[in-house]
Amino acid sequence: MHQRHPINCIVPPHVLKNIATKGTTAQKELAIETLKRSEQMRGQRQALAEFATAAFRVAVGGKERILYDAKNGSSLPGTVVRKEGEPPTADVAVNEAYDGSGYTYDLYNNIYQRNSIDGNGMRLDSTVHYRVGYDNAFWDGEQMVYGDGDENLPPSERIFNRFTIAVDVMGHELTHGVTQYEAGLTYSQQPGALNESMSDVFGSLVKQYKLQQIAGEADWLIGQGLLSENVKGIALRSMKAPGTAYDDPVLGKDPQPAHMKDYVNTVSDNGGVHINSGIPNHAFYVVATELGGFAWEKAGQIWYVTLKDKLKANSNFQNCGDLTYQAAGEIFGAGSIEQQAVQKGWAEVGITVGSTTPPPPDTGGGGCLEALLRLLGAAPAKGS
Amino acid sequence: MQVERIKFERTGGFAGIRIATDLKLDDLPDEQAHTISELLDDLDFRELPASLVKEEGMADQFTYTITVETKKWQHTVITGDVSAPEKLQELLQLLNRLARTPKRQ
Repeated sequence: MHQRHPINCIVPPHVLKNIATKGTTAQKELAIETLKRSEQMRGQRQALAEFATAAFRVAVGGKERILYDAKNGSSLPGTVVRKEGEPPTADVAVNEAYDGSGYTYDLYNNIYQRNSIDGNGMRLDSTVHYRVGYDNAFWDGEQMVYGDGDENLPPSERIFNRFTIAVDVMGHELTHGVTQYEAGLTYSQQPGALNESMSDVFGSLVKQYKLQQIAGEADWLIGQGLLSENVKGIALRSMKAPGTAYDDPVLGKDPQPAHMKDYVNTVSDNGGVHINSGIPNHAFYVVATELGGFAWEKAGQIWYVTLKDKLKANSNFQNCGDLTYQAAGEIFGAGSIEQQAVQKGWAEVGITVGSTTPPPPDTGGGGCLEALLRLLGAAPAKGS
Repeated sequence: MQVERIKFERTGGFAGIRIATDLKLDDLPDEQAHTISELLDDLDFRELPASLVKEEGMADQFTYTITVETKKWQHTVITGDVSAPEKLQELLQLLNRLARTPKRQ
């Protein structure tokens, strides 16, 4: 007689989540499968996020990458081809995705003290050689996926090279995971464009961190090397000069705006998430170059804290401007040069933040220390 | 069914670049037109739901819009990458290529 497994019967999702987190390996797998199938889970990525850490990816306490090969099919994740610590393979896409996710892990871990996508050592799974002629890379809610571009077309017709070719692409995709676990920005309209912008910001920072470049040396390009030699263009996006990355008879012109007055209202691309991201991208670029030095240190810190602690699922550009301004004040002090740089960055894209005159810079030390001392009663309260 | 026309649009993706084409099957080489007709038959295209999009929680996915016209009916299907059935993926790949290749000189 056929026996139904208890997990496949009607079990409330919260119980399934417990099993997925705490059960034996076999139980976990069944619970996860059931949860994934169940209607209740559909569309609730936050619910997925809550238990994914412990269940899907065993917390390992450090950098743990697995590379898979889809062998030009569409099944994910595919066949394991390289694990953490193993030497490079003969496959350049595998090695690029391995190294790129490694640099991304290092930036988050070494600079922002974040242990992986979920902050808890989640394993970094990447699949390369997804489908045939697949000119894209994406985050599927659990892992990163990379296509080979136009490898199936004659060289003269190719537009895209393989998507692992630019290290910022790995930083971009992995940051979608971080956003999923933190702000959970809805993938539509302005929240969606912020989601995209966060991925470009940290993608670019991964590249700069790898190359140890200061803001003035960086190219601020997204996807440099991705376009084939047939295309008139240098990359897919430019944070320094949105709208100038390419201008080509087939691809058309880079449609990104750099200012709110040029905001693109469209239903395509989830409301132009890859288009209007040019606006917050450029704001970050201005802040970073205004502050100079390594962009990941100050500008990156402000943006990271905003992503982690401040932005909400439905935050818009104005909210992001206000919250980065707030974060800069908390980290570096009200009226600090860092906070002024944030104000300037958003002003350049047509967004006014901190419109009231900021108080003069504190003379007695940074914001964090002062706030702590105030809390301990060792420093006078503001305005007293 | 005698398909006359297919309109195809792909938006989104990492690059955020839109591509589109509007094809009359009569204008295509016989073999290509035949392959497309066969795929549409296999898919029972008219019976596909108007939206196959289930990409919640995903980022940088393509969104495809396909409109098929015959003498008797017209039907539009919107789908993502991962949510498209295998046969539909074959069709998407074919249309994708047709949307891109003829233009570059």
